[in-house]
Amino acid sequence: MNTTTTTHTRVPAGTPRAASPAPSASGLRARRAARRRQLTAAGVLMTPFFALLVTVFLIPVGTAVYLSFFSDDQPGLGFGPERQVFVGLRSYAAVLTDPTFLGGLGTVALYCLIYLPLMVLGALALALLLDSGVVRLRALAQLGLFLPHAVPGIIAALIWLYLYTPGISPVIELFAKGDITVDFLGVHTVVPSIVNIALWSNLGYNMVVFYAALQAVPREVIEASVVDGAGPVRTALQVKTPLVRASIVMVSIFTLIWALQLFTEPMLLSQSSPMISSRFSPSMYIYDAAFTRNNYGLAAAASVVLLVCTIALSYGVTRFTGRADSEEVR
Amino acid sequence: MPGRHSRRSVLAAMAAVPLTGAVSACSGGDGASSARTGTTTRVTFWSALRGSQEVVDAFNRTHRTVQVDFQQIPSGGQGGYAKLSNAARAGNAPDIATLEYPQVPGFAIDGVARDLTDLVSDGLRRRLLPQALGLTTFERRVFAVPLDVEPMVMHYRADLFGHYGLRPARTWDEFAEQAARVHREAPDRRLVLFPTDGMTQFACYAWQAGAQWFDTSKGAWNVSLADAPSRRVADYWQRLIDRDDVFMNAVESRQADAQIGNGLVLTRLSGAWDAGAQMNARPGQKGQWRIAPLPQWDTGSPSVGTHGGSTFAVTEDSEHPEAAMEFIEWQVSHPDALRARLSSGASSQYPAAPGLVPVGSEAFDRSYYGGQDIYALFDREAQKIGEQWLWGPRMSATQKVMQDSFARVGGGQGSLVESLRAAQEGTMPDLRALGLSTTQHST
Repeated sequence: MNTTTTTHTRVPAGTPRAASPAPSASGLRARRAARRRQLTAAGVLMTPFFALLVTVFLIPVGTAVYLSFFSDDQPGLGFGPERQVFVGLRSYAAVLTDPTFLGGLGTVALYCLIYLPLMVLGALALALLLDSGVVRLRALAQLGLFLPHAVPGIIAALIWLYLYTPGISPVIELFAKGDITVDFLGVHTVVPSIVNIALWSNLGYNMVVFYAALQAVPREVIEASVVDGAGPVRTALQVKTPLVRASIVMVSIFTLIWALQLFTEPMLLSQSSPMISSRFSPSMYIYDAAFTRNNYGLAAAASVVLLVCTIALSYGVTRFTGRADSEEVR
Repeated sequence: MPGRHSRRSVLAAMAAVPLTGAVSACSGGDGASSARTGTTTRVTFWSALRGSQEVVDAFNRTHRTVQVDFQQIPSGGQGGYAKLSNAARAGNAPDIATLEYPQVPGFAIDGVARDLTDLVSDGLRRRLLPQALGLTTFERRVFAVPLDVEPMVMHYRADLFGHYGLRPARTWDEFAEQAARVHREAPDRRLVLFPTDGMTQFACYAWQAGAQWFDTSKGAWNVSLADAPSRRVADYWQRLIDRDDVFMNAVESRQADAQIGNGLVLTRLSGAWDAGAQMNARPGQKGQWRIAPLPQWDTGSPSVGTHGGSTFAVTEDSEHPEAAMEFIEWQVSHPDALRARLSSGASSQYPAAPGLVPVGSEAFDRSYYGGQDIYALFDREAQKIGEQWLWGPRMSATQKVMQDSFARVGGGQGSLVESLRAAQEGTMPDLRALGLSTTQHST
């Protein structure tokens, strides 16, 4: 957003300065007209962006914040007439003392702890392998890894639901033949099972991001490292990886934000596993609060809490890596 | 726009739905005049109950000033309740909705169900079982009219009971001994299933033992899901589960169907309605089942809870509450209404107006139960329904949390008492966020 704004304002600012230093009345008018045209163009071009920003982001966020602070209350048992009141932090207090919400946050934290490193390191490793040239049939490998990303999340969850469900899953049957009992949807296996679905879906996509970044690494640098005697592993880890650092940060942030909003996979798996409750993740909690409990104050407060957590964590990641960057420069 | 419909209108505006709800935003019991002379008033009716179409047809044939438009909707758990609350929010709710007992307080608090106190005639009030009406009355105001009330009974396999030399248990201790015996003598069979998706069954056991999960007598919602009677019931079932003397899985599942269908489970503890449901579902087991009273904790002062049953509510948005009430009164208390409902298939519902029992009893084919007069049994059991019970303001949520936890117990994690506590903890934030006065005294 920032980049768009600055480029658009910089261009009109530069043009008038280039005109004659002693402005005549007509020159001034022409300049103003030109400036107005440019502003109009900028306005027209940016309107769709801001219109969408306002309608699909700012208004919903504002509504959520509003709903979390105001409520149609009926005092006592709740059967009296409703009146709208400012309830302060009541909804937030309720959310933050709800063990099911805190449990959901815990689940997502565990999910991120498993998923984030596996995803970033896995995608990077695959990209480095592809880039190193040891892989035959590179295009085919890329396609195979990327293809799952083209499958919508809900279909992916259905496919894996089939593979996870005892009685119909060929995988479980295969294990059973070897006398191994596996329960993919048990108490301790359910989070790893969801991580597996997410990895399958997104690994290829992030690998492509890293691969594209690696393509931009100047070949002279690689050649220099080879001349200096670095083997392929060392080249990959100590030369290429630092050079695609920006991509790693970006993929980490996007993956984190995506992971915090965990919803589709557990929602669908909950149909067949009692281990996934209706409030398994914060997003499922919000959905449940709004649509089965008709408790909009609670849902809104939980949404704001999740939003704040997401912003804080993203900021934390940016800040942390930013500092590391500047230290490196020094 | 402060007042009843403000939140509803905000959401309706967001969804770009015309603000019809706000137009009819008058509150209170003085609904728009309906019985315009010479014209017909049309009311809409939503229900998931089987036989509703037949009831509506019978009503429309015999009435001229009021005509009912019926719409079959999915059952509550399948989205019926979500459909109703969304419709109410958008201002296009039906005049009459069907609610199960646990849902009544929630819809009353949300301003969907109208206060019917002044519309329920004294005659109708007298005909209804007081325990049934008590479940839909809050702060002395009636929010829904009961159709049926279902005392829990024990359906048992008479043939298998004979085979193992069992008689229907009179006490829960005896029941536990029988459970152990069946497990010992037939390792693949069990006396009963503990349903992991069965908050309503568990509530009924606790109700029988004298529990009071919700209490409003002190002007606040007192929630005590883990009170002493509930803990006693939880400990009892926990022992049976720990000894593997009962099946533990969902009852709404193919697994449970197979357990019943293959004769692996010897009893079903459920409401009176389940007798008819069983006949429709498994005609091949004709003659094998009988029904007995539920085992008791104290045979000196017998008590039961209810499992299932439906009520009818008039919505706040209805423009014709009197006409709606006329249909409801006919539906719950007229013999022709029950006959019409029974014409759609076997039903063993116990009417909340006990005066209709002879109609149900007469229409019921006794041969499935070997000639047993099950309505006489239901009649006796209905009198024992404990009067202390109230459902809470957010039962779907309470139910989900409890059942999620039951399921984990089935997976070997936690205990039933912990499930009750989890449900309590998962319910309180909801009630607080709604702005209700709450307390958590427990015995």
